[in-house]
Amino acid sequence: MRNRVREQRLQREMSQAELAAALGVSRQTIISIENGRYLPSLPLAFTIARFFDLTVDKMFDPDEEET
Amino acid sequence: MMRFIRPRLRKPLLGGIAYLGIAAAWAIGSPTWGLAIVIAVVAVGQTVAWYAWTGEDTDESALLGSRADERQKQVGQRARALAGAVALAAAYVGLVITLAVKRADAWPFAVMLAVTGFAYLLGLSSYGSGEPASEDEVTAGHQTRSPVNS
Repeated sequence: MRNRVREQRLQREMSQAELAAALGVSRQTIISIENGRYLPSLPLAFTIARFFDLTVDKMFDPDEEET
Repeated sequence: MMRFIRPRLRKPLLGGIAYLGIAAAWAIGSPTWGLAIVIAVVAVGQTVAWYAWTGEDTDESALLGSRADERQKQVGQRARALAGAVALAAAYVGLVITLAVKRADAWPFAVMLAVTGFAYLLGLSSYGSGEPASEDEVTAGHQTRSPVNS
């Protein structure tokens, strides 16, 4: 599953640590999500999408493989 | 009681208490207290070291400091599951070897095997059937309109 977390974070010029603090998760979890190694829970997926003013299906695309 | 202890200190303290238990058992069961004192000193040192470790920015320190997020909790659960599986396998191997060599010492392995096996069944019962078996609306005669093909 591909996601746009890294892209959105870089657009806002945020560091991984800043995003982690804003979402209430660890920096390692942000790294894992960005690398596609961890699929967040539904509540966290909604939190991430809302943080970037996107819908969950815009943030996470199940049809695209992580490259 | 744990509520009154800072979350960061809980697991390091529990680890220290576990070591002190071993030290106390040694002191009770042995005529010399030397090793018990060494274990107690190690327990205190370990508690301090673990507490310092909880300040680091790693998955392990987050778990140890009771501030793990959902992914880190999942990592911890997987690690526990692996530890349980290994304990079960070790108990089985220990039981088989001890039975083959010397029957009298086999019972601790049998107890470990029984306890870990029972804990697995308890886990299935506790976590696998959390939802009460309620009747399906369709089979109960209250067929709802399907959102699909409507």
